[in-house]
Amino acid sequence: MNPSLARKLPLVLVAVGAFALPLVLRSPTYLHILILLYLYAYLTTSWNLVGGFAGVLPLGHAAFVGIGAYTSTVLSLQYGISPWIGMLVGALLSAIVGVIIGLPTFKMRGAYFALATIAFAEGIRVMVENIDYLGPLQLNGPRGLQIPPLKLGFLNFMFADKEPYYYIILVMLTGVIALTWFVSRSKLGYYLVAGGEEPEAAQALGVNVARAKLIAMAMSSFLTAFAGTFWAQFTLYIHPKSVMSLDISFEIAFIALIGGRGSIAGPLLGALLLRPVGDFSRIYFGSTLPGLHLIIFGVVLILVMLYQPRGLQEPLTRLYNGAIARLAGKREAAA
Amino acid sequence: MLFIIEDTINGILMGSIYGLAAMGLTLIFGVLKVINFAHGSMLMVGMYTAYWAVMLTGLHPYLTLIAVVPVMFVFGYLLQDILIKPIFKSEKDVREPITVIIVTTGVWYILDNLSLLVFGPQYRNIQDNPLRGKMLEFGDMMVSVPKLWGFCAAIVTALLIYLFLQRTRMGRAVRATSLDRDAASLQGINQYKMYNISVGIGTAAAGVAGVALVPFYNVFPSVGVLFDIKCFIIVVLGGLGSIWGALLGGIIVGVIESVGPQFMAATWTEAVVYALFLLFLFFKPSGLFGVKYDW
Amino acid sequence: MKILELKKVRKFFGGVKAVESFSLDVGEGEIVGLIGPNGAGKSTLFNCVAGVFPPTTGEILFQGTKINNQKPWDLCRKGLARTFQIVKPFASRTVLYNVMVGAFAVTDKRAEAEQRALEVLRQLHLEGKKDLRAGNLTIADRKCLEIARALATRPKLLLLDEVMAGLRPTEVDEMVAIIKRLREGGMTIFVIEHIMRAIMALSDRVAVLHFGTKIAEGTPQEIAHDERVIKAYLGEDYGAA
Repeated sequence: MNPSLARKLPLVLVAVGAFALPLVLRSPTYLHILILLYLYAYLTTSWNLVGGFAGVLPLGHAAFVGIGAYTSTVLSLQYGISPWIGMLVGALLSAIVGVIIGLPTFKMRGAYFALATIAFAEGIRVMVENIDYLGPLQLNGPRGLQIPPLKLGFLNFMFADKEPYYYIILVMLTGVIALTWFVSRSKLGYYLVAGGEEPEAAQALGVNVARAKLIAMAMSSFLTAFAGTFWAQFTLYIHPKSVMSLDISFEIAFIALIGGRGSIAGPLLGALLLRPVGDFSRIYFGSTLPGLHLIIFGVVLILVMLYQPRGLQEPLTRLYNGAIARLAGKREAAA
Repeated sequence: MLFIIEDTINGILMGSIYGLAAMGLTLIFGVLKVINFAHGSMLMVGMYTAYWAVMLTGLHPYLTLIAVVPVMFVFGYLLQDILIKPIFKSEKDVREPITVIIVTTGVWYILDNLSLLVFGPQYRNIQDNPLRGKMLEFGDMMVSVPKLWGFCAAIVTALLIYLFLQRTRMGRAVRATSLDRDAASLQGINQYKMYNISVGIGTAAAGVAGVALVPFYNVFPSVGVLFDIKCFIIVVLGGLGSIWGALLGGIIVGVIESVGPQFMAATWTEAVVYALFLLFLFFKPSGLFGVKYDW
Repeated sequence: MKILELKKVRKFFGGVKAVESFSLDVGEGEIVGLIGPNGAGKSTLFNCVAGVFPPTTGEILFQGTKINNQKPWDLCRKGLARTFQIVKPFASRTVLYNVMVGAFAVTDKRAEAEQRALEVLRQLHLEGKKDLRAGNLTIADRKCLEIARALATRPKLLLLDEVMAGLRPTEVDEMVAIIKRLREGGMTIFVIEHIMRAIMALSDRVAVLHFGTKIAEGTPQEIAHDERVIKAYLGEDYGAA
């Protein structure tokens, strides 16, 4: 069997398995855990478009989650607009905000951009936390917005069981992975990598580095907002701390960094490895040692940055390829 | 009218304390060309250190400076030496060591959550300290005494740092390293030692700010986040690398926060500060006094 | 037809004069060399032409149009490519990837970019190394890669900034042959160089820069015998190269 095919086969099997899983796994608890896992994998992969490929460090992506969540929720609660449409509106808004933050800062040192993303994310959160009404729109400040589960069905993005949510987030995740793959092979992808590694050389080769980063930023914030709407429709309750907090921004960034930004597998692997750690420590130590999982994330992050700056995907991919090669080799030797 | 003058004065005083907090950050950037994202957390550590020093020994809050300043200096020095120096060494040729930002963000996160774990989320303050609520009367105006002391501390610290950089041998070495690290090391200056010292001083300055705040400001685990962001904004307004710029930037923010509520809701004064930040980013990213770097 | 015209270009950095009233024309298909002692202002001039920063006064015309304030990426699209004195390969990627970045300047499709990149690599005899990591190449190959990348953008004018620096004499001769072949293909080339034998072998004309001012211009032979030039610096170096 040719080696490239051998490497891809298990991944295809996993993907098929993921889609087939709800047919065998009925427990809502486990489905719930998987849904959240996919959600974070989606978030980290979207983050990766600008944090990995563009080589900058966005540390306030939760703002886009929040914008997506609040936009679709307010539009559906106050004006009866379908959350799917609200999702698109929220995504557009996020893209605009993302571009506003990026426009002045992409031309400068990376620290300015990182700084600006944190400042804006926190600024937006504080604003939403302190105002009940933004013009005619009801935001309810810290109390947040509750979505009554009245109208079920696909058009209203509201379901009684977990299965539909599972499939929706799985489709979203697959979509965003495919998009990342396409971008990495496209002109934009090449330009982002070039601009990230050697901006002066890239510019001399016709790359408008700042513009490429802006496009990546717009895409990333657009997609991240989708997750906000999903979250709102899944949990039926949003408030600033649950959708816009710095904790969420950092968790997304840390997971992607530990997994390995700039690669397609990195954010996925990061989510796969770290979310269970987070869930475990939240469940068992949540009350006695709050924030323990965050400390663990921080320590792991520092260790990874010091010893494996490209992320854990590098050694893990090598192990995987090595294992596949040995297995394929054995089969050929036997045949 | 009188209220506005009173607010402005208190705004200047509080703003100078913000500036004091931001001074360390701008110094660290000026020398290392890197932003220490954990600066706010260092301030938080300084505040808790001062708090516990007072609770355990009953000392006057300002006397805790004796403990806080050296502790914070050592803390900053070690942080740079142990965590950041290896990255500098391995990323010598990289245009921008983004990894340092990531690591300091990790430190921020660890410190904040560690203090949440150890101290709990409750807001603490020193109830019966000699400075709490003390006001000076100037005619009909009331000026907060601890803020006044904070103002003095800010000016004194700025002067001390300035004199250190301009008049002492080591200060000159630090300045040389900030201007051209390679040329400086060719002259026999150990650039990594200079970095350590700079981070140490910057952190110690944050410690002084912590001590100045403890008599009247609540101490809680995420107080660092608040100040971190404010310090970032201030440092952009004042210009990265400029001590006096940090002071001025802090005062601007302090005055807006103080006088703003007279004219609009408190939330909107926050928005004004952010709008100013955006404007500077768009039109004057090098700030009021910053040096033009090769962006 | 004049590809590049520099008219009384001056560049000041604050109060420091880097280039003083420099004028030069480069005609189509010519190879023009720019030499001068270190610090004379050669790279500054290149940077002005390439759009890194605009000249303080004076005009720079590319194919008859003024390009003073244009950005490097726009100039590249118009047909002006450059290499860097200190090579800047995209080290973590393959040679092919590197050249494809350049090729995307002339096409949006990946397949076409790959074709163009392979074409250029074949031209420079680098196609055997196309899958090697750029960071692992020898210095000579990296210089070749630098040129390949610039070539992939299909330039009309190529600015080469000290491509010979760091090469051994045999490698220098190879590089000279490559550049000559490029000119035979119709390329106009503007070269900064220190290695005398390369400049003498390549250039149709040479301009000499000293403390920011042009002190001589002419054929390589004329320059070699010009008293001012010899006095300025050629005397010491000419014997060595």
